[in-house]
Amino acid sequence: MKILVLNCGSSSIKYQLFNMTNRSVVAKGGVEKLGMKGSFLKHVRQDGQVVVFEGEILDHKIGVEYILGILTSEKHGCMKGLEELDAVGHRVVHGGERFNSSALLTEEILQEVTKCIDIAPLHNPPNLKGIRAMEELVPGIPQVGVFDTAFHQTMEPKAYMYGIPYALYKKYGIRRYGFHGTSHRYVSKRACDLLGVDYNTQRIISCHLGNGASVAAIKNGKSFDTSMGFTPIEGLVMGTRSGDLDVGVVHYIMEKEEIGIRSANTLFNKHAGMLGISGISSDMREIEMAKANGNERAALALDIYNYKVKKYIGSYIAAMGGLDILIMTGGIGENADTTREGVLSELDFLGISLDYEKNKGFRSEGIISLPDSKVKVIVVPTDEELMIALDTEEIVSSRTKS
Amino acid sequence: MPSEVIYEPIEEFGLVEKNKSKALFSKIGVIGCGLVGQNIARVASFFGIEVVFIEVSEDKIREAYKNIEKVLDERIEHWGITSGEKRAILSRIKGSLDYQDLKGCDFVIEAIRAVDRGGKIKERKEIFHKIEEVVDSDCIIATHSTTIVITELSSDLKCRDRCVSLHFFVNHQEARVVEVVRGLYTTDESYQKVCQFVALINRKIVPVQESAGLVSVRIFVVLLNEACEILMEGISNIDDVDQLMRIGFGMRLGPFELADKMGLDKILRWMDNIYNEFGDIRYKPSPYLRRLVRAKHLGIESGDGFYKYDENGKKIVQLNNQRC
Repeated sequence: MKILVLNCGSSSIKYQLFNMTNRSVVAKGGVEKLGMKGSFLKHVRQDGQVVVFEGEILDHKIGVEYILGILTSEKHGCMKGLEELDAVGHRVVHGGERFNSSALLTEEILQEVTKCIDIAPLHNPPNLKGIRAMEELVPGIPQVGVFDTAFHQTMEPKAYMYGIPYALYKKYGIRRYGFHGTSHRYVSKRACDLLGVDYNTQRIISCHLGNGASVAAIKNGKSFDTSMGFTPIEGLVMGTRSGDLDVGVVHYIMEKEEIGIRSANTLFNKHAGMLGISGISSDMREIEMAKANGNERAALALDIYNYKVKKYIGSYIAAMGGLDILIMTGGIGENADTTREGVLSELDFLGISLDYEKNKGFRSEGIISLPDSKVKVIVVPTDEELMIALDTEEIVSSRTKS
Repeated sequence: MPSEVIYEPIEEFGLVEKNKSKALFSKIGVIGCGLVGQNIARVASFFGIEVVFIEVSEDKIREAYKNIEKVLDERIEHWGITSGEKRAILSRIKGSLDYQDLKGCDFVIEAIRAVDRGGKIKERKEIFHKIEEVVDSDCIIATHSTTIVITELSSDLKCRDRCVSLHFFVNHQEARVVEVVRGLYTTDESYQKVCQFVALINRKIVPVQESAGLVSVRIFVVLLNEACEILMEGISNIDDVDQLMRIGFGMRLGPFELADKMGLDKILRWMDNIYNEFGDIRYKPSPYLRRLVRAKHLGIESGDGFYKYDENGKKIVQLNNQRC
């Protein structure tokens, strides 16, 4: 079975083509600067050859058309025709309260996804555009939506409600939804497989630290709490997002800087976080390099980052009444040993004993805690695309059987 | 593993055959680089478009550069962009005295300072002619004039079906909206192309039928005239009127603050033009406004308008103005 996984953003489309018989990636790539000047499509063939296609890519439909065109082209493709493609899996950012698992995208379901635009005006519309484009280009192909929020739908009201008038929850659905669900679900299951323990009896904290970052508490196989909320800005300090912030600050900045809601939104989402504090970059590697060269603000930014993750870990241990497994994932969690050390040092009193030697330079999948550590600390490279492909395969196969 | 990246033109890889199209709006032209011209050049360049602006003297070119740089520096200070982006934006903007440099533009907009033209339509027509001589036949030619109708402006051109009128808002950076006017001759194709351009620079489009003063200017001049009338009748004062409109109607700036920001001479000319077109007394410039302009109190730019301003354009609070 061949499954195409699509992740349509507002100005980008990422794709991976999976051969499900051996779960291998046949080809992958992405459209960048969609609808803007200098748009291009970068395609990586199975043999590792990188091909860059330059030219005007005006909208999602044309972007998806080119992706299909390249995948079936004689010169760079890997399929003889579109009939070889069995299904398409889409990353859909917001599933609201309606979706607690992945779903086959029928017209009826699409109406429901459309309703979620109201609470995710930036993310859901491009997702939907990708789905509609696919439907037009390959009519009738089974499509599955995998929601970023679905995994966290098991949170209890005490974890997802804000301290605001209840009527606002009823009226607009304002509550914490959480994101990165596909990633947290994948790495927590994978960690249990690697450790040979029962997923449904573990207390797990999963730290997805990438450019966007969130921590999830998973108890007995269910998401118990997570750091992102109504939007992805809540929680940790991220590459360019501020994370938790006193709402009084928002109001004060808007007044002092004479900016409106839109600019404020840009400020807290695009110019804050590690970039805003360090003034250098949102890229962890560049900030670490600056710190090594004696830059004080870079050092401060890194301290703030680690401290925040540490605080979330502590609070989730308290919330779940203990911890069995701690997972590090995402670009930073998988690669930045200094960040892992900064976050996990001196937590022995909580049963977390990091193997400092092993952690140094560790860049693969595996345990990085000491053998006698009560809590197993494990690095698991995330693979949201594979998770989406697996969900798609499962849903499409069960449909064919029934 | 092969290391060399292969480059391919994307048009050959669609599911249906595509004609290789010239990248639209890779280069645009701006005639006149006053406040509006600078704004258009800066915004277009921010979105990756090469900009050529035509001015009448080297001094004017330098001045325009200096002002664009000043705004960008402000943006850096206020977290908006990085210094790398500033360099990139400036590198895409080129000032010139020669219309020949407009060759290869997909879009040219005339935004000459009203001060320079003395309200004469003839001058703008001549500019349109000069543009038409150098650009391709499918290049969009636009004017930023809001009170001179595009049909009249384009009537003498060879290809007048590609002319439109655009109105940008430059009074604050969140005013991401553009009034787009099609003339009698404008084809659907040209109009669509303009809409594409406006979308490319992340502005909302408000389509407007051809009419002097469009929507925004026409409403604003009546509002300002009425506000001046209230002053002259002694019903209220400048501060209070602005405050009422700001707080009461949720406007970001009151009518007097807004007028000072836009430039009183420009507004006076708008009023004269719209009044000439419609003959309605509502549009006739208030004597109060005329008096200020005669005294060269032109708003923030001259340091004096309805309010007084320091050299940084900040309002100087005058206590005696607070209450009547």
